[in-house]
Amino acid sequence: MLLYIVKRILIFIPTLFLISLLAFVISINSPADPVEQLTRAASMEGGVEDKNSAENSVKNEIRKKLGLDLPVFYISMVSWADCDTLHLISDKKSRENLQRLVKKYGNWQNVQNYNSQLIQFHNQVKSVEFTSEQLEISNDLSFLVLNLQQVNHHESIEQNFVEIDNKIQIINNSSLKLAFQDVKKSYEYLINHSGGIHRYLPKIKINGLQNQYHLWLLGDLGLDEKRGKNGVLMGDFGNSYSDNQPIIQKIGSKFFYSFILVILSIFISYLVSIPLGIYAAYKKDQKFDRISSVFVFMLYSLPGYFVGTILLYWFANPDNFVWFPIGGVKDASIYQEKWGVLQKISHQAPYFVLPLITYTYSSFAFISRMIRGSMVEVLQQDYIRTARAKGLSEKRVILVHALRNSLLPIITMIADIFPAALGGSVILETIFSIPGLGLEIYTAVISTDIPMIVAVFTLTGLLTVVGYLVSDILYAIADPRITIK
Amino acid sequence: MNNFNFKKYAWSKFKQNKPALWSFRILIAIVFIAVFSPFIANEQPLFVNWEGNKLYPAFNTLDTKSKTDSIWLNDSKKWEVIYYDRIDWRSVPADFKLFAPIAYSAEFNDTYNRDFIAPWDKQRYKNENGEIIALPWHLNHWLGTDKIGRDVAAGLVHGAKISMFIGVISIVLAGSIGLLLGTLAGFFGDNTIKISLAQKLMIWIFWVLGYFFTFETNGYIIAETFENGNNTLGFIYFFTAIIVWILIVFLGFKTGSLLHFIPVLKQQKFVKVDGIISRLIELLNSLPTLILIITVAAIMNERSLGILILIIGLTSWTGIARFMRAEMMRIRNLEYIQTAKVMGFGYRKILWKHAFPNAVPPVFVSLAFGVASAVLVESGLSFLGIGVPDEMVTWGSLLSLGRQEFEASWLVIFPGLAIFTSITIFNLIGEGLRDALDPRLKKITNKLQMD
Repeated sequence: MLLYIVKRILIFIPTLFLISLLAFVISINSPADPVEQLTRAASMEGGVEDKNSAENSVKNEIRKKLGLDLPVFYISMVSWADCDTLHLISDKKSRENLQRLVKKYGNWQNVQNYNSQLIQFHNQVKSVEFTSEQLEISNDLSFLVLNLQQVNHHESIEQNFVEIDNKIQIINNSSLKLAFQDVKKSYEYLINHSGGIHRYLPKIKINGLQNQYHLWLLGDLGLDEKRGKNGVLMGDFGNSYSDNQPIIQKIGSKFFYSFILVILSIFISYLVSIPLGIYAAYKKDQKFDRISSVFVFMLYSLPGYFVGTILLYWFANPDNFVWFPIGGVKDASIYQEKWGVLQKISHQAPYFVLPLITYTYSSFAFISRMIRGSMVEVLQQDYIRTARAKGLSEKRVILVHALRNSLLPIITMIADIFPAALGGSVILETIFSIPGLGLEIYTAVISTDIPMIVAVFTLTGLLTVVGYLVSDILYAIADPRITIK
Repeated sequence: MNNFNFKKYAWSKFKQNKPALWSFRILIAIVFIAVFSPFIANEQPLFVNWEGNKLYPAFNTLDTKSKTDSIWLNDSKKWEVIYYDRIDWRSVPADFKLFAPIAYSAEFNDTYNRDFIAPWDKQRYKNENGEIIALPWHLNHWLGTDKIGRDVAAGLVHGAKISMFIGVISIVLAGSIGLLLGTLAGFFGDNTIKISLAQKLMIWIFWVLGYFFTFETNGYIIAETFENGNNTLGFIYFFTAIIVWILIVFLGFKTGSLLHFIPVLKQQKFVKVDGIISRLIELLNSLPTLILIITVAAIMNERSLGILILIIGLTSWTGIARFMRAEMMRIRNLEYIQTAKVMGFGYRKILWKHAFPNAVPPVFVSLAFGVASAVLVESGLSFLGIGVPDEMVTWGSLLSLGRQEFEASWLVIFPGLAIFTSITIFNLIGEGLRDALDPRLKKITNKLQMD
């Protein structure tokens, strides 16, 4: 038995590793620039006085903390044309742009040359002293140059070139003209001298422990330079992009409501559906069975958000009945922390009625269908016939002999219901505005708060895996034959 | 029983199941509505006779709405230019206008009936003489309007199109992955196929190389195509890249046999087909699917139907694969397959000619349940405003509008009923198919419905 449990746990470790890898891939592929978002969140807190220089130092600090100056993974596969140090470029957009250019033309040297010419030209634009009439044009000019650093389509680059040419013509500055000639030349050189075969020659690069995934997963452990991170394994998911608070603190309180709703709803639905399923199976093909089957089937096909909305429409709407509050988990104006447990529960109970109904009914439909099915099957077994032949009372046959065996598949269903309930909580918590994990991931998606999304994703993945583990073990306890297989 | 026809037998069994048969009929009706939606809900009339000019606006604007036409008006003695996307046909003084049953498209903003007009409210329009009066019955908003005057009935018709499209295409995708992997896992198991160490090694190396040559070096082309807004071409490139990748892996397999002159590499090893595929299924099952979909949708630059279909398809094949695997494991041990093996048929022939056709019919059951859950996921996501593009009207997006405005009960009830109906009919069809194709499957499919 112990061996079996250890074996199951060992099997789950690679799964957890893959979940973490998937979460990490999601987090680095997000379109938003984390540095920009975090800088905004930090400056909203106040504390940034001198805009430009302070902002830059804040940005660098954040980059360092997030480990964005490191390569992505332990090993990487690049072509000979690629650049090893591209991840050192701070601005995300221009970094991606350079990457694209390298992929397109397959020659890092030329791309680098083009880029440095562009930067030189930009600096020159900044250093030239313009007259007041030219000021607007110069602003346009630097805007165009910045734009040029973020485009890689041939047509749009050419178009930008033409526009910059026009602006320079108006300003009529010879040094700018010369500098811009260099930019154009380097671009022409770039597109005419592509790297050829180099870009199709693979190269494996070993980055060692100094990489983003390692920092994300394990934090400072084994890193040369300490960055003040503990890693996801220690529960450090970083800071939220929206308000710069540590994610784990934000999640901690949310976790409670989600968990309690899911557990309560599973408990209630088991409580209702086991007797119903048994009775329906006992009265198979009779009136009660047929009516309850149709009813349960209808419930099963009703989407939760529809039922939730209808319930709110009827029971939390001033036009109909105001029996229950419209959402949330407590009335902040009345609720006090110093209340006793009973008072807290009696205050919060009405808030949970409608969500619980919505949470419960769909798993209830599913479970009672399952129980009926497995009970019907067990009732056809030989040993039930034997029990009846022995003259045992019908009550004893059903509740003692049949029930125990028909409950077996129901144990494994916890593993199926648990992740489904967690997933479903996104929609239901949004409808009832319950401050749980589901609502949190919804708001995070709306505000592209990637670390939050990744954290909720990883945690729900973990919970799901644990759910499977628990149901496996329960099943092994209930049916010892499993461990032998 | 000499000429026993399984298809006919199954169909007659299916017909005996009244709820399933009726669901099938309703499904045909919904598919009909989805396919012919431009002629069922359209603000462009089907036919207009305007002073001798016969126009067919609904047909003319099928491909693009921004069309223009100029016609000579005989009686008024002037040229009239028609901008199809701007003209309000209700106020055009034509002699005869034949409107579609729902005289609005899903995106059409009826400026005279804004702010949640109920089906039973008084609805207004501007008639040919420029007076604003009550709508005649054939132009009614049958199921009311939303805040900006979009017709709910037209939205439902459009939503049917989107739901059926997403449901069917994503399940075709999930079905093909699930059928293939499930068949391989079930038929070959863990100790049937042997390959040499060299081939194994080469497959791994070429697997990585395949990724390098497709997505690492040329992936930018796919990304660029999507950025340019050319989604169809983007998906074609994407799938081409995957096929090329698979071909490269196959090439690796072939290259492996060239290395057989080295004795160590010639050792034959079993391929754990079942082990690998089962592990993959277990992994996907232990991810909370809806949260995975939401997460992936969140990091996408733009929302599109294609991406939604891809996500749903790639995450929902596990049920079908598990099902197929169980079927194949059962069939593999049947006597006729054993006989075929003894007679010396090759694996390929036994698999595709003898085993596969017998395993496929029951899979239709899980396909039907799969469409139901895909429709549920799609409407749930668009209810949250995450799945489909903002401007697209779907059942879920209509329902979420209704949640924001409780007075507009028609915005909750009709889309909700539409979702409920479509899920119910797919579930009922699934049950009917199960009873007709293989009653012994009852236990297995009950479990699969949860996935």
